[in-house]
This record gives sequence, C-alpha cells and structure tokens, in this order.
Amino acid sequence: MMKRNQLILGDKTLAQITDDICQPVETMPSKGWVALFLSAKTLLIFYVIILGIIIANGMGLLGVNHPNGWGTMIITFVFWIGIGHAGTLISAILFLFRQKWRTSVARTAEAMTVFAVMTAGLFPLIHTGRPWLDFWLFPYPNQRGPLWVNFRSPLLWDVVAVSTYATVSIVFWYIGLVPDFATIKDRAKNKIRRLAYGALSLGWRGTARNWSHYEMLYLILAGLSTPLVLSVHTIVSFDFAVAALPGWHTTIFPPYFVAGAIFSGFAMVVTLMTLVRIGIPQFKDYITIDHMEVMNKIIMTTGLMVGYAYACEFFIAWYSGNQYERYVFINRAFGPYGWSYWIMVTCNVIIPQLFWFKAFRRSIPIMFVVSVFVNIGMWFERYVITITSLHRDFLPSNWGQYAWSFFDGAVLFGSFGMFLTLFLLYLRLFPAVSIAEIKPMLPVGRKDLEGNH
Amino acid sequence: MGKKRLGGFAGIWTDEHKVVKACAKVHALGFTKFDAITPYPVHGMEEACGIKRSPIPYVTFVAGITGLLGGLLFTWWTSAVNWPINVGGKPFFSLPAFIPIIFELTILFAALSSVGALFYLCKLPQVDPPVIDPDLTSHKFAIFVPVNDTGYDEARLEQLFKEMGATETKKVAEF
Amino acid sequence: MSHHHHDHDTEEMLAQKKAARPQVERSSQYWVNLENYNNDPEFWKAAETEFQSSPLRGEAEEGWARREFLKLMGASIAMASSGCIRRPIQKIVPYNKQPEDVTLGVSNFYTGAFYDGLEPLSVLVKTKEGRPLKVEGHAQFPLTEGGTSARSQAALMSLYDPERLKGPRKNIFNDKRTNKDTVQIKWDDMDDQIVEVLKKGKVAVLTGSIPSPSTQSIIKEFCQAFGGEHYVWEPLNLSDVSQGQIASYGEKSIPYYHFDLAKTIVSIDGDFLGAWHTPVTNSRKFSDGRRNLEKMTRLIAFDSNYSLTGANADIRFKIKPSQQVTVAMGLAHELVVKKGLSQFATNGNVKSALEAYGDAAQKLGINPEVFAEVAQDLWENKGQSVVVAGGLPTLTGQQLGLQIAVNFLNSILGNDGKIVDYKNDWSESLSASWQDLENLIEKMKSGQVKTLIIHRTNPIYALPESLGFKEALKKVETIITTSDRVDEVGHMAHYIAPDNHIMENWGDIETTSGLISIHQPTLRPLWDTRSFQLSLMSWAYLANQGPKRLLAYESYLDYLKNYWKEEIYPKFGQGKNFEAFWQSVLQAGFVGTKPAGAGSRSFQTEALNQIKKPVISEGFELVLYPTVQLGDGSQGNIAILQELPDPVTKIVWDNYASLSMASSEKLKVKEGDLVKITVGSVDMTLPVHIQPGLHDQVLAVAVGYGRTHAGSVANGVGQNTYQLVQFAKGNVVFSGQKVAVTKLGQRVQLATTAGHHSMEGRQIVAEATLKDFQKDKAAGLHKHHIWSMWSGHQYNGNKWGLAVDLNSCTGCSACVVACQTENNVPSVGKAYVLQGREMHWIRIDRYYTGDIANAEAVFQPVMCQHCDNAPCETVCPVLATVHSDEGTNDMAYNRCVGTRYCSNNCPYKVRRFNWFNYRKEIPDPVHMSFNPDVTVRIRGVMEKCTFCIQRIRAARSSAKLENRALKDGDVKTACQTACPTSALVFGDMNDPKSLVSQAFAEPRSYGLLEEWGAKPSVRYMTKIRNNNKESKAKAHGTDHAIKGASQNEEQV
Repeated sequence: MMKRNQLILGDKTLAQITDDICQPVETMPSKGWVALFLSAKTLLIFYVIILGIIIANGMGLLGVNHPNGWGTMIITFVFWIGIGHAGTLISAILFLFRQKWRTSVARTAEAMTVFAVMTAGLFPLIHTGRPWLDFWLFPYPNQRGPLWVNFRSPLLWDVVAVSTYATVSIVFWYIGLVPDFATIKDRAKNKIRRLAYGALSLGWRGTARNWSHYEMLYLILAGLSTPLVLSVHTIVSFDFAVAALPGWHTTIFPPYFVAGAIFSGFAMVVTLMTLVRIGIPQFKDYITIDHMEVMNKIIMTTGLMVGYAYACEFFIAWYSGNQYERYVFINRAFGPYGWSYWIMVTCNVIIPQLFWFKAFRRSIPIMFVVSVFVNIGMWFERYVITITSLHRDFLPSNWGQYAWSFFDGAVLFGSFGMFLTLFLLYLRLFPAVSIAEIKPMLPVGRKDLEGNH
Repeated sequence: MGKKRLGGFAGIWTDEHKVVKACAKVHALGFTKFDAITPYPVHGMEEACGIKRSPIPYVTFVAGITGLLGGLLFTWWTSAVNWPINVGGKPFFSLPAFIPIIFELTILFAALSSVGALFYLCKLPQVDPPVIDPDLTSHKFAIFVPVNDTGYDEARLEQLFKEMGATETKKVAEF
Repeated sequence: MSHHHHDHDTEEMLAQKKAARPQVERSSQYWVNLENYNNDPEFWKAAETEFQSSPLRGEAEEGWARREFLKLMGASIAMASSGCIRRPIQKIVPYNKQPEDVTLGVSNFYTGAFYDGLEPLSVLVKTKEGRPLKVEGHAQFPLTEGGTSARSQAALMSLYDPERLKGPRKNIFNDKRTNKDTVQIKWDDMDDQIVEVLKKGKVAVLTGSIPSPSTQSIIKEFCQAFGGEHYVWEPLNLSDVSQGQIASYGEKSIPYYHFDLAKTIVSIDGDFLGAWHTPVTNSRKFSDGRRNLEKMTRLIAFDSNYSLTGANADIRFKIKPSQQVTVAMGLAHELVVKKGLSQFATNGNVKSALEAYGDAAQKLGINPEVFAEVAQDLWENKGQSVVVAGGLPTLTGQQLGLQIAVNFLNSILGNDGKIVDYKNDWSESLSASWQDLENLIEKMKSGQVKTLIIHRTNPIYALPESLGFKEALKKVETIITTSDRVDEVGHMAHYIAPDNHIMENWGDIETTSGLISIHQPTLRPLWDTRSFQLSLMSWAYLANQGPKRLLAYESYLDYLKNYWKEEIYPKFGQGKNFEAFWQSVLQAGFVGTKPAGAGSRSFQTEALNQIKKPVISEGFELVLYPTVQLGDGSQGNIAILQELPDPVTKIVWDNYASLSMASSEKLKVKEGDLVKITVGSVDMTLPVHIQPGLHDQVLAVAVGYGRTHAGSVANGVGQNTYQLVQFAKGNVVFSGQKVAVTKLGQRVQLATTAGHHSMEGRQIVAEATLKDFQKDKAAGLHKHHIWSMWSGHQYNGNKWGLAVDLNSCTGCSACVVACQTENNVPSVGKAYVLQGREMHWIRIDRYYTGDIANAEAVFQPVMCQHCDNAPCETVCPVLATVHSDEGTNDMAYNRCVGTRYCSNNCPYKVRRFNWFNYRKEIPDPVHMSFNPDVTVRIRGVMEKCTFCIQRIRAARSSAKLENRALKDGDVKTACQTACPTSALVFGDMNDPKSLVSQAFAEPRSYGLLEEWGAKPSVRYMTKIRNNNKESKAKAHGTDHAIKGASQNEEQV
C-alpha cells in the first residue's frame, strides 16, 4: 500500500520542496506561534522558579515520604525518557528496515527525542537530596581516594545509559541536519543567517565522495542507535526490576518498558504532528494522512503489547505463589490507588482500540484526542508502578500514602514548559522535514518519475 | 584534493538521472579527480563516479572494541583492585552487574569515533568553502573537473557536458 | 542575699573559704577527666570569679557560649546545684565501680534519679566534658536492674528545655488577680519580700509526692518554722490503694508486688506495665517471671481501656469501668461460694456480701467456664498469684469497693504478704492523696492560708474548674511556686522561685521503704535557678525561724549529708565510719535492700459491706487514662515524648476519643471524625479513634494533654480532659461516668506511625501458645530454605548481631526515646508525621491479631537489620552505604547524595531521610544535649540505626587501653541499656559463647522476612502466649486480616 500512495503529495519539484521546508525558517513567525511560544516560555520560567524553591528547601516539599522514596520526579523522568524513544525508533530502526515513509517525520521525531531526553535528564539530577553533589555519580579520579562509584547500582547504569543516549541522539540528529543547514545557508538573503547556518553546516558541499561517507555514517549511527535505544529503556526498567520490591522485581520489565516507551513516544509524535500540520499547512503534503495512519497502527499494536504486559504481570504474580507479590497486584487494582490503575488501563489498553477502524485511524481530531489520552495513560503507568509498589510493601506497619503536594503538580506541568519551548524554537530555526532525505522519496508512487528507475 | 584549492570546469544539470549518466561518461573517459555535487545522495552515483566503499565501518569496529575493553578494565580495576569493598554481600568483581556500563561505553565510543572519522574524511569543518552554484544544495546537480585532472581540456569538457544535457557550463576559479 | 552575709561572715569563715577554694578542685581525686582543665590558668581565673560572685545573682543572660561552658565545668560540677555564697567544699563521685554489665566509654557516669510522681527511678547519667548526654539504667539497683522508661530517658530534654526560666520572676497583679505582668527579680529582693510574708504565718506547702527523706524533713522543719502545713497531692496518685488498705487491713500501705514470684497475675484495669505506678520495676519483675518459658507467669487482664498491660496479657477480657467490682467479687464468689474454698467459706457476712455476684460471668458477657478457669487458676497458684487494680480507669464511684474486693481476693488466695508486700511498700515515695488536696481547699476557702508554696505539682492545670481550686486560690494572699517555667501555676503565682532540674541537684530518694538511693548533680545549674530545698532553707535562715538543723547548714548538700549522718547512717552504717559510708553510698548510688515480703494480715470482712452493689448501666462510660509517653502531662513540653507513638494506638501529638469498631459504626463515625462528648455539665470536642478490642460501651480518652502554659511544644496539643473529672461524695471520679457522644461532621487527621494494623497473614511477629511451644520449641515458625549462589564474604573478628525476644518486649518504648537521645534523632512535628516523615531509627510495630472485637496485640521493635546481603547497599550509586568487616551496614552521611533508592529497596523500611534541614530548627541550649560521638545529619542525606557504632568504637578503645580483647557485654546499644525487660541482646555472633549467639541458637529465633535472603543480623524470638489454647498451627503468622483495621491509614 505504501508502494502505491505518494509519499509526497502535490507533484512537487525539487525546488518547491526546498521552498516549502525552508519557509518557516525564512519568514517572520505567525501570531499563533508567538502566542504559543510566549505561553510555553512563561510555563518554563514558572518551572525554573519551582525547581529553585525545591532545591533551596528540600525534597520534603514534594509528596515523597516514607515509604514512598520516589515520586513525581522519577515518574515524570521515566515518562519523558519513554517519549524520547519513538524518535530514535523512527529515525534509526525504521531506517534500517528501509521504511521510506519515516523520512518525512524522522527529523521532528528526532528533535522530540532530543528535547524529551533533555527534559527527562533533569529529573534524576534534581530529585536527589543534595543536587549540588550530583557530580559524585560520575567516576572521576579524586584525592579522597580510593573512592569510586558503585557500578552495581542501576542508578549508575542509568546515568551512563541516559548520557550516552543523549549524546548519540544529538549527534545523529545533527549529522542529519548538516546538509540542510548548507541548503539554508546557500539560500540565505541576509548576512547573519548566511553566517549562522554556514557555521552550523560546517561547510558541507555535498560532493559525491562526501555523500558516500555520509550515507555510510548514517547507516552506522542507525545501527548503533537501535541497540542503544533498546538498552536505555531496558536500563530504566532495571531501576525498578533490579530492586527487591514486589511489583518492581519483575523480569518482564525490559520489554514491557520498551514497548511502553514506543507506545507513548508515537503518541507524542502524533500529538505534535497534528499540531505541526495545523501550524505549517504546506507540511500536509509531506506529513500525509498515510503517515499518520501508519503511526496509529503502531500505537494500537504497542498498546496491545503493554496491555499484554499488564495481564502477564497479574498472571505471574498469581502463578509465583509469592504472597507479597500477590498482595501488591491485588492492591494495585483494588487498593487505595485503584483509580490510577484503572485510568492507566482505560487510556493505554481500551482507548487505542479505536484504531481498529480505518476511519478513526485517518481522522486527525480523533487521533489527536487518542494520542493525548495515551500520554496521560503512560504517565499514570509509571505512577502506578512507582507508588502502588512502594506504598504497601512487606511490613504492613510501614504502609502509607504518597503525600501529593502542590509542588508535585507544578513540577509535572512545568516540565512541559521546558519541552514545548525547545520544540517551538526548533520549528522556527531548523528545517522540520529533512530536505536532503525527503527528495529521494519524491518519485515514490509517482508515475511520471518512477519510469526512470 | 590537495591543500590549495584548484580551479576547474563545471557543468550544471537539473535532472538527477542525466547527471548520473554524465558522471559515468566522465569516469569512462578516464577522468579521476572529478567530483559530482548534488543536493542529496543520488542513487547509483558511487558506481558512476567509481568511488570506493567508505572506510568508516573499520573505525567503528575498532572504537567499539576499545570501548568494550576499556569499560571492562575500568569497572574491574575500580571495584576489585583499587577499592575492593563489600557491597551488599556481592563479589568484588560482579561482572553481570557491570555489563550495562560496558555495553553503553561500547556504543558511545563507536558512535563518536565514527562521526570523528566522517569529519576527517570529509575535511569538515570548513569555513565558507567556495560554491559553484547556490542551487546545488536545493535542486541542481553539478560535475566539477579540476584543472590538474588527466586530459583536462575546457572546450572538450564543455562540449561533453552539453551533450550529456547540462543546462549550464562554467569555468570555476577555485573549488 | 550576699549582703546579709557580709554582716554575719566572720574573718575565719572567710579564711576557711579562701583555704577551701583551690583544694576544692585540685585535691579532688574524682576528676580524672577534668585534669586538663585544672592546669589551665584561664580556667582558674574563671573559677575564681565563679566562686566570688554570688550565685544568687549568677549571670542570668541567656544562651551559653559552648567553650565558656566547658571551661567552667571544673568549678561548676563542684559547685553543682545548691546556690549559696556560703558554699563549702562539695565532692561528687563518678560511678567508678564498674560492674560486668555496665560499659563505660570515655564518658563519666554519675548516679542520678528520675521522678515523675509515679515512679522513683535510680539511674545513671552519662556526661561528657561535664555535659549530661544520656540517661542510662542503673544495673545494680535492685528494683529496676538497669531498666528505664520512655519518660526517664526524655528527662535529659527537660534539662535543656529552652523555655525553662533563666532566673526568678515576679508576677504583678491588679486587685482582680488579672492582667498580670511577669517581671525579673533578684533572688535577694525576692527572698526579702517572701520572708516578710512568711513571717505572717498561716503558711501552706503544696507539693507532689516527695520521695526524698531529707527533703521531707526540710519541709517538716520549714512548716514548724512558720506554723505551716504540708499537703501532698498530684493528679496521678494512689490514695485509692492506700484507702483500700486501711479499709481492709486497718493500716495504710501502697504495696509492692513481687510479680517475679507470681505464677498467675490478674489485673483489673491495673496497668502496672504501662501507665499505673512504677512500670519499670513492674516490667522488670514481670519479665523475670516469664523468662523461664517452661513455668512462665500467666497474665490475665480485665481491661476497660486497651492498656499496655492488656496488650501484654495472655488472656484479655474487655470490660467497662462499672464492671470492675463485678469481676473482683465474681472471682471471689467462684472461690468462696461456688467452690467453698478458703477460711472465708464459712463466714456468713462474706457469703451475704458475695451472693449478688453469682452470675458475674453472664453480667460480664464472659463464658462462665472461662471465668471459672480464671478463678481456678488463681486458686491453684494461691500464695503465688496476685490480683491488682488501680489507676485512673478504676477511679469510679466504686473505687474503694474495688480496692477492698481486690484485697479480699488476695487474702483469700493467701497472697497478702507474699506477693503483695505491704511492708516494704511505696507509701513513702508515692504518698500524694486527694484527701490532702480537699483539706487544703477547705483551709484556703476559710481563709486560713495566707501564703501558699506550690512545688512540683500543678493544681491549676490538672484539676477541673468545678473543684473551685482557682476560686479558693483568690483567698490566698501570696502564692509562691518553684515551677521551672511560667506554667499554669506560675501564671497565678506572685513569686516564681525556679527549682533546679533534678540533674542539677543533689538528692536522695526512698523508693520502696528500706531502699534509699542517692543522686548527684551532673552539671552546674544552667541558669540562675535554686533548689527548692535551699529556697526553704534560705527563707527560714533569713527569717531566722525554725529548728536549728534547718538554719545551721549552708547548702542543701550539707543538710543532706548531715541528715544521712543522723537518720540513715545509724541504720545502714554497718560499723564503717561515716565518711567511708558516704563514699560507698555515692559510688553505689543506694543503700538498703529490695522488699523481702512479710507475714499475711487478717482481712476485716466487714469492709465488704462498703462495696455497693453495681447498677446495670447502658450507654457509654468514660475511661480516663494517662499515656505511657506523657503520664500526667508535666513533661508535655518535650517534643520527643509528644512524638513518641502511643504503644497501643501508635498515634502521636494528640489525645482522642477511643471507641470500639461496633460503636463507631453505630455512631457512623470514622477515624478522625470530631465528636462532642458531654460528661455532666462539661463538654469537649475530640477526634475519634477506632480501637480494636475495646468494650462497646466505653469511650476512652487520655489525660495529660491540652496544656496552656507549658511551652511552645505542648501548648494546644490535644484537650485537657482533667476537666471531665467529677467529685461525688468524697470520691474523685475519673472513670465510669455516663458520657454522651454526638457527631459534629468535621474531621481532623490523627497522626499515626502505624500504616496498617494487621499482619495480612505474613510471618512478621511469630506467635505460639505455651501448649504449642511445649510440644514444639519452634512452634509458630515457618522456616524457609535459603541458598546462595556463592559462599559470600568472610567475617573474621567480631560480627555484630542483635537478638530481640518478642516474648519479653512489652512495647514500653523506652528504647525508642533512648535511641533518639543517643543518636541525635530529630522530632519533626505532627504535620510531618502526617506526611510519613517521622525519623525514629527504632520503631515498635504493633499488630492486632484475632477478630477486631477482641483483638490481641503483639509488639515488634524494628531497627536496621544490618543484613549481610544488604539490598540498600547494592543500589546506592555512590557507595554511601556499604558493609563493614564487622558485619554492620554503615552509612557515610557526607558521601550520601540522597537518591533514596536504598530506602525503596529496604524490605524493612528502616531508613529515614532528612527531608529538610532539621538541625537548623534547634534552639539554644538544646544543642548541648547532642551526643558529640554522633554526627548531626544535614538536609538531603539518608540515616538509620548504626548498631550504636560509636559505642562499639568506645568499648574497643577502652578495651585497647586495658590491652585486652573485647568481651561479651562490653558493647551495649542504647536501646538495649534502656530496656526494662532485657528483650534486646547485642553482641558478637562470631563468639559462640556470647549471649547473642546463644539466643540465635534457640529454636524460637527467626529472621524477619528471612525468606527474602537478605541475611539480617537481627533475629527475633517467637512470642509465647500462656493461654490454654492450642493453635491450629498456621505456617505464616497466626492472625486473620482485621476488617476495617486499615481505617487509620492516612488518605492523600
């Protein structure tokens, strides 16, 4: 089916493609964008102030307590990290599978990855009791010695994995941007833009020799990012799975978390793409309903996977015959936090089933709503895993509720301020579709051009 | 391509397929130092220009191995040699627990060195290199033959390019 | 009052002083630890000025520079306590005779004392650089053998209470005795003014019980001096017991019970392990009687509040106050009438008195066979059993009747004199009575009291308005109090002559008659205060009235020493010369012996006629009770005690109306719902607490809360339920009154430290009945097969472990406070406890078993288990918590970044996180109470039990000094030394002969959650219930989930 439909609509010429994609970068921003940007920026400032207050006074401002050592910050960390994964999946894994349709969404998906990872990466740093000492998590030579870090701790794996992931995604993304920067430079009318994008393009000229190296590198990076992205969420899941806590100590976590990550990631891509299509109309020709539909199919599939994981957890809890394990899961669904569990199930398992119907898969409003619900559901998934396992563990006398406070909400919503600010800036400053990558896709499904292949 | 930038003669195309054919022709005529400039990686261009396979994968492999061994040695030395300490009753050298670290280091080394290799091979970054035509990064294609290429003859090249459907030919001061 | 002296002082007196001065310190052989100060010229300069300036106008400025404080120590301890310019040489002696089981670090230990009106305790006070830092048990003291209580452990904090008065004060009243203004005043001026009013005569001295013989004699002589009278009253007194004794045997007594010798104990609301009198002594003796499991004591409790004694009972019956007499007389009926036992069987008078109680069991709703068994049990152990009753829950209209009935039972059973020791009793130390108070009020009303001196008792706070004490007070011209703060009394008094803290004071205490302990000051008075004794002496001296002995001495110490020479030395001197005797007493801390029993007395059966037939009542009956943590409320301003969970309810920072599950459902109230309770004309708003195992017609509320002038900590915490006390024909009635309850609709949150109250069928507290245990020593235990993938690390040298005997632990919580003071653990306040932020390193988990209507309770102290395979260590990214080669799980605070992963991964959740910078909240001089051997943690780091590693280090270094190896018993943790029942045993697991190894070898011992494979170094021993039951041996624990028990959980 992908064969027949055009990847790029409206019989574009190469020049038109360049114009279309460069337009947002080269024109003054629309009122709509400015409005969005200002509100996002306000939210970001609010976020920064809140974090300042928390760091100044202590983690006690949030709901974390005894026994709930982790709360909103870790939950939201996992949430954002998960979202990041779709980007890498699209740009790397689908690239390896030669899924041509990925091209038009890859750039933005990668951008989303980078920003999501930045937003996420902040949380483990500020959730500690003494954030100013976070650098102790890195094994650097010191005179206190011998004094090293604990390579057995999943948190340390996390530090290494997330920073590696951030580095590689940024590099991958940037490498992809280089030829497009060259394009913008060459089109530049005014000096500053020419200078800026010239610098960004690193003096790329697109000779055949360079392209051959370039393609090879791109392939390699794709090849490396694939195991990387899988490992990162696996390791994030280890933060829980390696602990001895019933509800956390589960072998299914790595695949379960990766599936969930892709699930939430694609949902976020869909959310953003629907908005991009509205914000920058000419992109409708590049990010077509077909693209959206494919992603919705993936959402539905991964949705079923997480649904399976939820069921499997319950089965194993029962099958294990371990009373603590059993209690945790019964408590998860029917305890004081049952409501959060059922929100999760509704948003992640039931609602995506709408996509069995082609009409829904291809309806922008519906997919927007569904994708938002999926994101809500995935945040609650992490909430359920973290809180319901911690709040009632082995010794009943320890049991207690999470003491949700104003700061928990502030931190959660503030983080969106950070993400959106970055994303909106990206839409204005970088070509949101890969110019160099999309052009070879021009002939796909086009009678007039196909002939020559 | 030497240190000093050379002048030469260039032809410009607007059709991807024509420029590939042209490249094949130029290559067949024995030109070796010529190069094609395209806005995107054009299918079949390597063969047409006779460009060898990129050496980057070897760099990746070596760097990957380095990362792996480095990670292994570092975790072992810090945890079992330099500061052996009883953590949760586990062995000093708890290899299974070190695997994630080692794995991530492998990836990191491989990825960054490969990028380094690209920069080296493509002589990046360059500051504002000369451009034959600004549209070459948008919708035009070019072939550039440097003056020092074997059998360099502008008249002959111009005629050749025209035959191959070039929309424009020009003498280039330096590239 | 120095100027007076300059008139009196003769040349040679001054000469004496001069001569005396330097030697005071230099000659003292007792101050090894202060040698370096002695040679410090700076110190001498300071000391000189100290000696010359009159302590009566000692510097009153607030706050102490720490160095200054240390510098002065040498002088200060010597001059300790008594403040008078005519101070002669005083020596106080370190506890330098080290018995096997007391471990001395570099710190010095002095015999000290604690007294709260309910129990005179001889303790040791650990000081460092002259700072008292910790209250330790006095292992040699015959009654407690090293036991302490939560409140005595917290006494340290009252010494450093920032709200103590820093000098004498005067209140200025208008003629209505209102708009008062409190002003500073010099001791000299105040003394002059007071002496003037005293000279007018008609003096009354109102004190709490005075266990100190020397102080009693000072008061006696003072009263002689000014024609005054001495009244002894405090809210929690035992006049009901002594009245009962008089009625039954014609002689006054507050018996000492030999619980260690008893085989069967029946308690009718006598909470002798918790909030009734002398709980530490009782707990010690009680646990001694249970240590040999084969013939362990059986405790049967008839409980109208869920008391600590009820919680520890082998068999517990819930009753309501109006049934107490029925229980006692019912048992008597079973024995005398039904079984026709004892010499009373033929006594017609007795028969007629008992006949009404034939159907006692039915009236009580207890299965008649079971009730008969109880009686049978008592009879089988006659002479070795005891029936006790007393305390606020028994102060009903029938209080005298109950005491008579109980005495009758003990006489029937021939326990009188054997287990019930009326001879060596408590009547000296617990002499307070309601009669005294009533007499005083009469006197005041009729204007026969011109001057009232109030010492260590608080009639303004602890009496209901209805009694009219306040009114009567208006008739008194001058009121003088020795309160250490402007409390409820201080508020009404004209003069406040603040007394020293007991740790700043010399003193003696007659605990049980014939056993007298002595205590020494451990530091110079922190502030410009003066001992109560010296105040009386000074006033008499200045008025130049009274017997010679009172005027002759220049300090309380002199008086004390002389008193001992004249009164006590002759009895106990054993031919030693007095000085030698005195030294030995100071070193041992006491003279005399513990009660030894006596012959039985004849019970006056006509007393039985005073027992009114109980009226069958419906509706709620009120039960007032003091809590283990706060007692009468006098220590209310100590945050540690306010934040100490009630042993049974586990609620902190509040009092509340306890209702049974059934009645709460009837009233449609949930945990925390506010209700209005009405007793007579008084009503009060309280939150509801749903208490399993409570009688459906009981509403129980604690006294000791609702202080108004105790200080910033105590003020406004809870309600002052003393207001609910009523007076009916010479009876003070605390309990049994009708109480009406109405739901108000509002709700407050009760802060509890217990998340849940059922073990959910898990093996947490393993329990077995005695019958099971006799069949199988490991009864009630489900052992797990545990294996490991590799051999694990080797531990050569010491490997520390802690054994906890759940059969000895009564849940008294002394260990919790001990740990908190030893390890500088902060209190966080109600708001944060509600958020689950309490910091206790050791907590006592309380679970209910059985059905909620008759729930039984079990206690389990939980501290860091120091697992060999510690889950917390594996997950810490920065190695802030790692394992030592002695098997302890160490925490490097300054390396901790605060990820809290360790806490998440701890199956026992014993780790505590510093959510805020609590140390910033610490006011002067509380920082002086901190143990210098333990880091004060800052914000953002995790903390937890360290097995008192500082004590391990201290013991090791002193062993090194004596170049010997550590031996078993050298190291004792703070919780262990505090424990009155020796439930905790710490030691080296690598030493097979150590007590802990032996304990671990017992079949009863098991590791908490051991199936999880963490290999904890703490092991518990099954609790044995001595009830005739044979449990259907359940593998995992023995409890059923309690419906609705999760109601106490905080909701977000």
